[in-house]
Amino acid sequence: MGNRIVARRPKCLGVATLGLLMCISRNAESQFGPEPAPARPVDAKTAAPYDITGYWVSVITEDWRWRMVTPAKGDYASVPLTAEGRKVTDAWDPAKDEAEGAQCKAYGAPAIMRVPGRIHVTWVDANTMKIDADAGSQVRTLHFGEWKTSGGEPQWQGDSIASWDEMIPSRGGLALVPPSREIGGQKRGTLKVITTHMRPGYLRKNGVPYSANAVLTEYYDLSREASGDTWLWITTVVNDPQYLNQPFITSTHWKKQPDASGWNPTPCAAR
Amino acid sequence: MMNQKRPANSMKAAGMLPIVLFALLGTQAFAQVDLSGEWAGRIHNDAPERGGGPDIGDFTGLPINAAARMRAESYNPSLLTVPVWQCRPHPADYMGGRAGFNIRFTPEIDPSTQQLIAWHARAAWMAQERTIWMDGRPHPPEEARHTWQGFSTGKWEGNVLTVTTTHLKMGFLRRNGVVRSDRAVLTEHFFRHGDMLTVASIVEDPAYLTEPLPRSVSYVLDTAQQMAPYPCEAVVEIPREDGVVPHYLPGTNPFLTEFATKHNLPLDAVKGGAEKLYPDYQKRSRETAITAK
Repeated sequence: MGNRIVARRPKCLGVATLGLLMCISRNAESQFGPEPAPARPVDAKTAAPYDITGYWVSVITEDWRWRMVTPAKGDYASVPLTAEGRKVTDAWDPAKDEAEGAQCKAYGAPAIMRVPGRIHVTWVDANTMKIDADAGSQVRTLHFGEWKTSGGEPQWQGDSIASWDEMIPSRGGLALVPPSREIGGQKRGTLKVITTHMRPGYLRKNGVPYSANAVLTEYYDLSREASGDTWLWITTVVNDPQYLNQPFITSTHWKKQPDASGWNPTPCAAR
Repeated sequence: MMNQKRPANSMKAAGMLPIVLFALLGTQAFAQVDLSGEWAGRIHNDAPERGGGPDIGDFTGLPINAAARMRAESYNPSLLTVPVWQCRPHPADYMGGRAGFNIRFTPEIDPSTQQLIAWHARAAWMAQERTIWMDGRPHPPEEARHTWQGFSTGKWEGNVLTVTTTHLKMGFLRRNGVVRSDRAVLTEHFFRHGDMLTVASIVEDPAYLTEPLPRSVSYVLDTAQQMAPYPCEAVVEIPREDGVVPHYLPGTNPFLTEFATKHNLPLDAVKGGAEKLYPDYQKRSRETAITAK
């Protein structure tokens, strides 16, 4: 009897080891994703963990007084302005902006996603996303991959570099989630956009400024609700040491529309 | 001899199995985003409302119905001087999803499986503690007790923690009398981006809202944050006869026009309502010349 038991143990151990190896293999995949295929680059459209293309409408439940109407001169509540920033805000002169043809100052990249309106998100090609905003008839172009700016004069929408990857702080340490990486069969990552090389403009319609050196960082997150609604949550961080005494952080939500209903391109307005 | 040694080795190897398996089970949680730590709120939108407090009669940005509006218009801020109201905390939807109070997240981990059982969130103001159950337990039946923080369950959707909260006590949507009923359901999404946390919340309330109310709050990780105790003791601030509750009867609140007047807004614009949340309303309001002075 004793010998039989001894004889069985290696078999049991073999099965257990096999199971263990399978477990390690499965767990490693769920934790880190499958081993990446070497070399073959994946384009941004293919790597997208979620689809934000389509029409979206802003639902103004925050900062209504500063967004739905043009706030009064000098009303810069909530914005962490430096003394210089307050001075510039207090000197807001929409007539001067109109005279200079700078009516779009409040429609630049750091502000446009906060302006009431609708946006239409499309892929131009496999590594270029476009966001059309009907407010001010602005167009943002998000470049994935190895895109390099051609320089030139700064524009309202600046140069935007986009990526799906992000450092995800997880229990047990930081985990790098590269583009198209799948964890547990699910693509992960957030659309992150960094925009520079912008023409100076306004964070708010009433002349709250950002400078030419401002850096805009955005994160685009998606949620699908039990109600059937789909929401796009855009976290926006504006760094501008000249006019802001700390990063200016806001998050803005957009509701998915089934079609282009309400699409209403308008020109920029300075007041 | 060899055969006799094998069982001993096998026993050792078999003994190691549970340890290895437990270790592997534990690492599954690493794929989840870590929320633990001290988070400092950033009040970079609606600061006057979220900080000092909203103006009376400012119902902008809220998809409220007529019942909510009538109730809010009867609100008298002197209510907050009544002892029973003085230490009244804010509920979960206001605490983390609107006020932006500093918050501490602590995970509760099962000691044997190392699986996440719950997140505990402590808000500085009124020392509120909230639990988000992550172990798959169901929500209690409808008739179960309602609390300030309600009953919350969470699940991971990719890198996002999605939390559903029911069994909330009635509380403010805005601290000028706009309330959310105890029938509401709160859905939250916690998006972590490096040292930033965006908490997106959606309140659905069949009693006072005509459509879901989405809002969001931003936090920044602050490893130096110290959360102070928040003792609160109710006292008699204003002597009143028993049973007196400060309020305005419908149509008698003299302060409802102040906000609109101060900011040069039409009275209708500040009364709230879903139709005023959309860009189409801005177009209409432009036609009625709402601009800065």
